Amino acid sequence: MDINLNMIEEKNKTTDNKTFDMKIDKRRELLESVARKMFLLNACIAVICVAAITFFVFYKGLQPFFSGNAEGTYSLVDFLTGTQWRPNDDINSALYGILYMICGSLMATVGAIIIGVPIGILSAVFISQIAPKNIKRIIKPAVELLAGIPSVIYGVFGLGIIVPKIMDISPRAQGQSLLAVIMVLTIMILPTVITISESAINAVPQAYIEGSYGLGASKIQTIFKVILPAAKSGILAGVVLGIGRAIGETMAVMLVAGNPIAGIPTSIWDPIRPLTTNIAMEMGYAFGLHQEILFSTGVVLFIFIIILNLILNRITAKAGEK
Amino acid sequence: MDNNIKFTVENLDLFYGDFKALKNINMNINTNEITALIGPSGCGKSTFLRTLNRMNDLIEGVKVDGSIRIDGEDIYGDIDVIKLRTRVGMVFQKPNPFPMSIYDNIAYGPRAHGIKKKSELNEIVEKSLRRAAIWDEVKDRLKRNAISLSGGQQQRICIARALAIEPEVLLMDEPTSALDPISTMKIEDLATELKKDYSIIMVTHNMQQAARISDKTAFFLLGELIEYDNTEKIFSNPKDSKTEEYITGRFG
Amino acid sequence: MNRSIKDKIMYGFIGLATAFTVGILLWIIGFVFVNGLKYVNLDFIMSDYDSKTTYVTIPVSENSTNNKLGIDFEIKEYEDTNYPVITSIDKSSKAKEAVDKKGESFKLRKGDIIKKVAGKSAENLTALELNEVINNVDTDTILVKVTNKGEGIFPMLITTLLTILLSLIVACPIGIFAAIYLTEYAKPGRLVRLIRFATESLAGIPSIIFGLFGMIFFVVFLKFNYSILAGSLTLSIILLPVIIRQTEESLKAIPNSYREGSLGLGATKLQTIRKVILPNAVSGIVVAIILSIGRIVGESAALLLTAGTVARVPNNLFSSGATLTVKAYAVAEEQGDIGMACAIGSIVVILILILNTLSKLISRKLNKSNA
Repeated sequence: MDINLNMIEEKNKTTDNKTFDMKIDKRRELLESVARKMFLLNACIAVICVAAITFFVFYKGLQPFFSGNAEGTYSLVDFLTGTQWRPNDDINSALYGILYMICGSLMATVGAIIIGVPIGILSAVFISQIAPKNIKRIIKPAVELLAGIPSVIYGVFGLGIIVPKIMDISPRAQGQSLLAVIMVLTIMILPTVITISESAINAVPQAYIEGSYGLGASKIQTIFKVILPAAKSGILAGVVLGIGRAIGETMAVMLVAGNPIAGIPTSIWDPIRPLTTNIAMEMGYAFGLHQEILFSTGVVLFIFIIILNLILNRITAKAGEK
Repeated sequence: MDNNIKFTVENLDLFYGDFKALKNINMNINTNEITALIGPSGCGKSTFLRTLNRMNDLIEGVKVDGSIRIDGEDIYGDIDVIKLRTRVGMVFQKPNPFPMSIYDNIAYGPRAHGIKKKSELNEIVEKSLRRAAIWDEVKDRLKRNAISLSGGQQQRICIARALAIEPEVLLMDEPTSALDPISTMKIEDLATELKKDYSIIMVTHNMQQAARISDKTAFFLLGELIEYDNTEKIFSNPKDSKTEEYITGRFG
Repeated sequence: MNRSIKDKIMYGFIGLATAFTVGILLWIIGFVFVNGLKYVNLDFIMSDYDSKTTYVTIPVSENSTNNKLGIDFEIKEYEDTNYPVITSIDKSSKAKEAVDKKGESFKLRKGDIIKKVAGKSAENLTALELNEVINNVDTDTILVKVTNKGEGIFPMLITTLLTILLSLIVACPIGIFAAIYLTEYAKPGRLVRLIRFATESLAGIPSIIFGLFGMIFFVVFLKFNYSILAGSLTLSIILLPVIIRQTEESLKAIPNSYREGSLGLGATKLQTIRKVILPNAVSGIVVAIILSIGRIVGESAALLLTAGTVARVPNNLFSSGATLTVKAYAVAEEQGDIGMACAIGSIVVILILILNTLSKLISRKLNKSNA
């Protein structure tokens, strides 16, 4: 009884003392508003960065194609269709043709995709559907480790093992070649293709799989006729990401590509100069028009990536619709 | 101003976008009573409960027309929502103690309102836990994580937590629907004890619970307040036929 | 063809593909370790990269067992010539009192190469001959020309550590605050879609383009020149999507009931974030940081164009300097030195292994506490 009385007394005390003041605490509201704006600002930084990168790279890269450029002009057509790259202080005798580089990059990427995607998908199938638990526990971290290894190490491996072996069987005198780049890129896109394909495969509803088994299909039939088609868009997304990785790879390919100054590759033994290595190799000492044209190479690369991203968006949007 | 009335609700409409979830609610809620809100799922009783401490503000696209006054002051006017929520506390359907120690859970509200002194906080924590009738059970393990308690204990911790900010009103949204019968009984006893010092408004799915402990009952259906009267009257001699149908289990 | 034969063939292909994947990984790691680990020892980690030659004055030790310097050495080849190389220094030798031309104390180390003793060249001398030269000196001190051959990764280690620190200091607050905005404040709309699009785009841009941007913006436009500052800032942009994505995930994993509970008690949004949400997102943020460190350690193209390839301990933010990975590339490209590249590579792979394991352990702890 006493306790109750005390409690009521206390309650009345606080009620009496408390002013029923529900006026807005301006200072606190200001603090909240400032905090919110600060968070927003940080979120916008990503947008600002993308805008800045696009702006600066495009600005510097498109300058050489407009007349009146301080460092001189170069024909856009010659740039895109030329097959020789001979920088020169004398603008009139300089040649900046990247067609052979575009070919090299594209051929290497296509090659890597043709070889790497099937291997990646099949490996993903193994990990997801076939591997017993304890083997899965070893292979999954292995793939993750593969994903984490810096590109330079792939390049060094390429230089140390792949290039000499190619040199042995190549009709040419050197091992650095389109084939070497294809092999290095194949290895590099494997983790991407495997991880994404594996997620896509795991996301296939169990109902489909059980339906297939229920009809008497074998595991292999189920995998190739039900699971993979159902996981199609996820796998496709992984492939597109793999393409992006292959086209944008610089350091690994720089060590094994050969980087000639001219020549559209006509066989896998030919050396190539991918767009990326062109930029990285000469940026250190290029200046003037030469440097600007290197940025133009970057613009071409950037445009490829943008196209790829748009394709990727289209695929994932379609997958979302389903 | 009638000293007995805590909330005056006049012509209250609530919209979720285009959907009118509450239609022209008018009622006076009394001080130091337990007011039960009953009705079938989706009738708007939880929505109405949340208008009383403006928790609906957190939902996108919500619009409120009409007025709700607490002690005469319009809570949808130019007032500080934070301060409103210290006067009108809330206990949720599923116990939601923070993943912190029991002590920190109870002290959370006071700390958020600027109380820092250890001695003051100790006092508040003990007082609140006592009022929630759980002090004896946890007084030796205040530093233990609140998540480690049973469901019923967690809910009483949440009640203590709400009491720690010294509200005048306690809103309870189906506080026992996730609990076992024994915990339910403990909380019903607690509510009956607490109404001496607080005004309690409780949404409940359980009509027997409303009949057991509430002083007034409001029956909601499809966003409208069908009937609102003393609990005895509602359960023995309801005026509206729909009320009677619900009470006798014809639907719900 | 028989169904089961077809199936067996497919199993065969699947097995081959997986074997290829795992085999390549093992081959690469094996290659790096086999070629590189032999160089890895404490000296390797602690030494400078560049070789350094100093004239050192060493007091004579009369009672040493081998020679007046109290130093044991072995004849080894260095730069196509035979030189005596220090193998051990007697405890009783006065070599620890050696000083250089400025009078500052100089530490003689195992592996140091002796090029000249008391004015006489040590090239192609036999051990016996060298001992004679040393013991024939009649002064109290002997002037020795010593070369420390470097070939260590210490400068790159420091550069890597500094770069990690700087990049994280910039990228973490920005990334975490951005993630907080996206999960706690943002209402669905054009702005949010734009921010998400930007974040996704950043994740897809190749590092060389970041390098281009970093070069033109930080190095040239802001006049930072090749510096770890320019490199770290460029890396911060690369890290943003990683940190934002990971932090967002851990914020989203926190049940909404906590937020409601906090706001229902009359706490403000900021208080709710500070006291309830962030403390529970900490392990997710730690994972984000570990992933970022892995990314920084492995990054090379962007740093090549912004921080340079010089192996040195940066003495301030504006020094240029090569990280481990950048130097590994430079060594392979400029000198074709596979051994050294693999040696650096071994360290990098070990680091990546440690980081991967750490992040897995923390993720597991995070999942356990949420479940």
